Amino acid sequence: MQGSFRIDWGIIMRGPLLGFLLVISLADLPAHAEEPEIVWRHHASHRNVTITANPLSNASRTSFYRGRGFTAESIHSYARSCGFSIGMRNAGSGPITTRLADWRAVGADGREVSIRQPAAWDADWERLGVAQAARIAFRWAQFQSENAFEPGDWIMGMVTLQEAPATPLRLVARYHDSKGNHEIVLDRLACTPD
Amino acid sequence: MTAMPANRQAPTLRLNDEDGKVVDLAQYRGKVVLVNFWASWCPPCRKEFPSLGRVRKLFKPSEFEVLAVNVGEEPDFVFSFAGVTAFPLLFDRDSNAMTAWGVQGLPTTFVIDRKGHVAYRANGGREFDDPDIVSAIRQLLKS
Repeated sequence: MQGSFRIDWGIIMRGPLLGFLLVISLADLPAHAEEPEIVWRHHASHRNVTITANPLSNASRTSFYRGRGFTAESIHSYARSCGFSIGMRNAGSGPITTRLADWRAVGADGREVSIRQPAAWDADWERLGVAQAARIAFRWAQFQSENAFEPGDWIMGMVTLQEAPATPLRLVARYHDSKGNHEIVLDRLACTPD
Repeated sequence: MTAMPANRQAPTLRLNDEDGKVVDLAQYRGKVVLVNFWASWCPPCRKEFPSLGRVRKLFKPSEFEVLAVNVGEEPDFVFSFAGVTAFPLLFDRDSNAMTAWGVQGLPTTFVIDRKGHVAYRANGGREFDDPDIVSAIRQLLKS
């Protein structure tokens, strides 16, 4: 590892909040410091497509977005929603596509909840008069409503649910390739309690 | 990286650099150019960023350049992460360039050939001094 910067991976493994805050704190580290690998708490695969997730806390998102121009008041509703950081990789040989509108969270009681689209949040930010720079940061930090993955592509972003389901919940992530529609299920997820 | 359809002209890219000077992709015609859209808050962007400097140094300045396009951040914030780089840092403050280039998420990288055509695209993090990527750049330099 270059320089004197060291990561306590145990912190990340023990708590997603601490892990996420650690990532935020890396914003001041210069580019020559070695970046840590992201430790994902939840993994699932279907064929050569892998999805990973970490729950996001209220505090971590408030800190992240306040650092990018949101006020505590404006980001409050987003930060307290049930949200996850998602990574998705296409290790196959052909392209795939995703639409967040096709994804669902299924609560312990079997009730389905859809994903709140990034455009719906942006409409809130416009109504609240959130600064343009903050809205840009928000927009690109989300898992996009539609994605196209070529072979080798890996895309990461945040997602929020329309409401918090009964936990543990399952996230059903659907994708499309030349053979048709498929789904990957991330099991035993939970919203953070704060 | 994914090879793009032949002869697809790169969109316009004309942005201010760290000194406020306008940098135009068109001025690099005749060179192979790697255009990387990134932000300092994006973990895979941060991870791949040092490899931009490494791949830059593998080629002569007369034949290859890296343009790192930061999206939506304050220059001071960017400098605290990037420091002094061996390649131009450009600022897409309103994300209009990112939209014009059809970027879906960060990081996204394009490799532009000597004629100004988009040769390759990569969504998500890469190590740009990976032998396969270096080989692809060398092939473009021969064509």
